[in-house]
Amino acid sequence: MRRAFANGLEQLADADDRVVFLTGDLGFQVFDAFVAKHGRRYVNVGIAEAQMVAAAAGLALEGFRPFVYSIASFMTARPFEQFRFCVAYPKLPVIAVGAGGGYTYGPSGVSHHAPDDLALMSLLPNMTVVAPGDPHEVSALLPQLLQLDSPSYMRIGKFGEPPLDVPAPVVLGKARLLRTGERVAILTTGNMAAHALDACRHLAAAQIHPSVYHFHTVKPLDTTTLDHLARSVEALLIVEESSPMGGLGAEVLKYIRGADSGPRVLRLGPPDAFALGSYRQETLQQRWGYDAPAIDRACRCLWNNTQTTLGSS
Amino acid sequence: MKVPTEALRSKARQIRATCIQMAHDGKEGHLSSALSPVDILVALYWNWLHITPTKAPGRDRFLLSKGHGCASLYAILAEKGVFPLSVLATYNQENSALPNHPCVHALPVLETSSGSLGHGLGIATGMVYGMRLKQDPGRVVVLLGDGECNEGSVWESAMFAAAHGMDRLLGIVDYNGIQAVGRSDEIMGHTRLEDKFRSFGWSARAIDGSNMDEIVSALSEVPFETGKPTAIVAHTRAGVSFMNDDVLWHYRKPTDEELRQALQELDVQSIYVGSPHA
Repeated sequence: MRRAFANGLEQLADADDRVVFLTGDLGFQVFDAFVAKHGRRYVNVGIAEAQMVAAAAGLALEGFRPFVYSIASFMTARPFEQFRFCVAYPKLPVIAVGAGGGYTYGPSGVSHHAPDDLALMSLLPNMTVVAPGDPHEVSALLPQLLQLDSPSYMRIGKFGEPPLDVPAPVVLGKARLLRTGERVAILTTGNMAAHALDACRHLAAAQIHPSVYHFHTVKPLDTTTLDHLARSVEALLIVEESSPMGGLGAEVLKYIRGADSGPRVLRLGPPDAFALGSYRQETLQQRWGYDAPAIDRACRCLWNNTQTTLGSS
Repeated sequence: MKVPTEALRSKARQIRATCIQMAHDGKEGHLSSALSPVDILVALYWNWLHITPTKAPGRDRFLLSKGHGCASLYAILAEKGVFPLSVLATYNQENSALPNHPCVHALPVLETSSGSLGHGLGIATGMVYGMRLKQDPGRVVVLLGDGECNEGSVWESAMFAAAHGMDRLLGIVDYNGIQAVGRSDEIMGHTRLEDKFRSFGWSARAIDGSNMDEIVSALSEVPFETGKPTAIVAHTRAGVSFMNDDVLWHYRKPTDEELRQALQELDVQSIYVGSPHA
């Protein structure tokens, strides 16, 4: 996803003089091509995220379309006040990109974990928040974010995620149908789409066919799709690598539970806890029960309408 | 556009009287925060800044980073004809164009909202960067409080401005010596902000910020050095004898009698028709 971002950014800058890229001293060699072509529109602000976001606000006031970039935890929590006050309140078109969302940097420790980036950015009025599932979604969403006259945040992962390989178009604000199915719908965001598709391949052998809807756009929430699902499926399974407060899961639960009746809703994802122990991302996903095998188990329970015992095996 | 210094002093007295009337009528404190930068603001607006209310290219940009001192800016904008004088009577009223911390949605002529400290300088550096890219010749002035300089973000921005040689950026610190719960020198140690700015790569000078001759003279030399941002650390006073150098007037709303006394001392009336009774 980072390569897709660097390439997409370069293309946007080729076509649009308003694009300026600010980095908080991150992305060694990743943006060399951008620098070679658009050196004056590349600014390494240094390890100063608050300054980066405030300066981006100033650039946006002068008519530019600044991108700001850092590790997701440092991109969101650290300069949160600058996002709130300098960017979201005046509704300026600043595009923030946080690399290594969720537990991409698992072994680096809590300092580098960002399970809360989507929730934090979603808290801000005027903000659009996206968590693409593969490099293609990154490429497809970037120009759509540039069209906005308001701020946005994109969570990206690491290098080399495999493509989801799904033909459905990527439309900002609209959940993407990755796989058609029946009775149970899996709702994913960010890196969880690949796990859901993985689980579905195993489930198909057992004649279990959930649909998969990928919410690359976390905010605004695609309530049209949710309304449709609320009428048409028995159960929703939300899978996210995100804090249980304020992310896709919390928002969908709040929306669906507001209705008189509707499908059963389960959420798989990390608990409200710091991930101690320097575990790798895959290990955390397994331990906290939101990897492909956990999705598989949960779907079987929902399909057979049995009580689920969720969590790690 | 040069206005004689005596005329600037007279204008400053009028703006002070207006601020005190606004604080009295609007029942809002932060009066000393509004009074201390009046001489600087008057010198800037009548003698230095090229401002256009339509935000035309090439204009100078002014950012009041210490937003709580906004009564003085409002009075100046009204006196400059940006909005009718009568609007000043709505200061601190609900849904007013003039809330007690400036909001760009309420008053779009502003470059930015303010009220949260430590943001103006960072925004200004982004503006300067963008103005360079689009070859806009304007200058950017930020007025900060001395208490505001407690914020670390100010110094992130100071480093950035120096690293990029922003000599069209002018930072003025309204060093009134007072912050919310005490004296700024005691809270952050007895230090000289001009030395701090210099060590961050700025060209900096301390002046008597209540002496119009010194202000005009310092402004006429901006930028102090080519290739460096300029800092003026302006040691200021409220300018009304019983409000000078007193933390109390960070909060206190003037009573009818205090209003009368202050206007008598300044020997001038508010520029809008205020009320003698709170």
